Amino acid sequence: MLNSSEKAYYLALQALRFKHYDKALNYFHAAAGHFQDNREFQILYETTRLLVAVKEEIAAAGNSEATAEPEEVLIDGAQIDFS
Amino acid sequence: MSRTETLKSLEIVLESFLERAVRLREDRIRVLDGINRLDDIARGFRGAENAARPDLTDRIGHWFAEHQGWLDDPKLRPAERNRIQQMLGEIGTTIESSGDTTPAVQKIASEIDRWRRPAATAPSAETAPGTGRKIILRRSPESAEPAKSEEPEADSITLFFDALRKVTNRFRDSIRSSKHLMSVLDDNLKAAQLQRNPDALLLSAVIIYHLKQRGYLVEPFVKRLKEAEQLQKETASRA
Repeated sequence: MLNSSEKAYYLALQALRFKHYDKALNYFHAAAGHFQDNREFQILYETTRLLVAVKEEIAAAGNSEATAEPEEVLIDGAQIDFS
Repeated sequence: MSRTETLKSLEIVLESFLERAVRLREDRIRVLDGINRLDDIARGFRGAENAARPDLTDRIGHWFAEHQGWLDDPKLRPAERNRIQQMLGEIGTTIESSGDTTPAVQKIASEIDRWRRPAATAPSAETAPGTGRKIILRRSPESAEPAKSEEPEADSITLFFDALRKVTNRFRDSIRSSKHLMSVLDDNLKAAQLQRNPDALLLSAVIIYHLKQRGYLVEPFVKRLKEAEQLQKETASRA
């Protein structure tokens, strides 16, 4: 029988195939203990971890840009008409 | 380049790396998929009541039908072959102990036996069937100079065919994460611009022409395509 770490590694690869990076990272976390000396595993794991972190940063930057815009046009709760 | 642009560029590089790494392992992933499914079936047999067994018998029947090529497949590693034989052994034991003698179960049992026979009894990939003689493949020594084609047109056809193949593979990878052709185009224009990827540039051009023929407004994409092309030309001239 396959152990749970082997199954998790396989599922991580499948998730990468379909570009479900969050899911892949969760599976990699689950398999990490069993494959800590496997170089190929470590490269894929660390790259996925970095990619998910980068995506989170991009999303956070996008959100801060989206929330910054209304602050410029709202003074004392009233919207200024610049036209 | 702003911080967000740097992050987006890094995102494309990392995604591209993972895409290629996974593509290189397609064969292994396919093997793992088969082993994983067999493992699920073996677990099912171990825990199932008799009433649930016909469904499992069907599933393993499908598994055998789908993977019969594996019996002689040299891509299968010895460890993987052992794993499969071990799982089939467990399924076989469960079937025997259940006392079920329906024709379907007997067929499965004989198929399990066939799979568990030692590989040595099957004809080796290096041996010509029926002759017992080994086939040895030879090739001429490698030369430093690439062989010149006698027909120059054949080279351009090969190059174009290679380019089409690369672009098709790239498109196949792109549509896994995108639901619409516009998103595929946008991703590839980004890759053409930020990564200076020539395949992405060609794929973008093909998509734009396809959209144009169908009456889409493509001017903004043409502008981005030209910018990406210019960047790639500049990078190539600096190299």
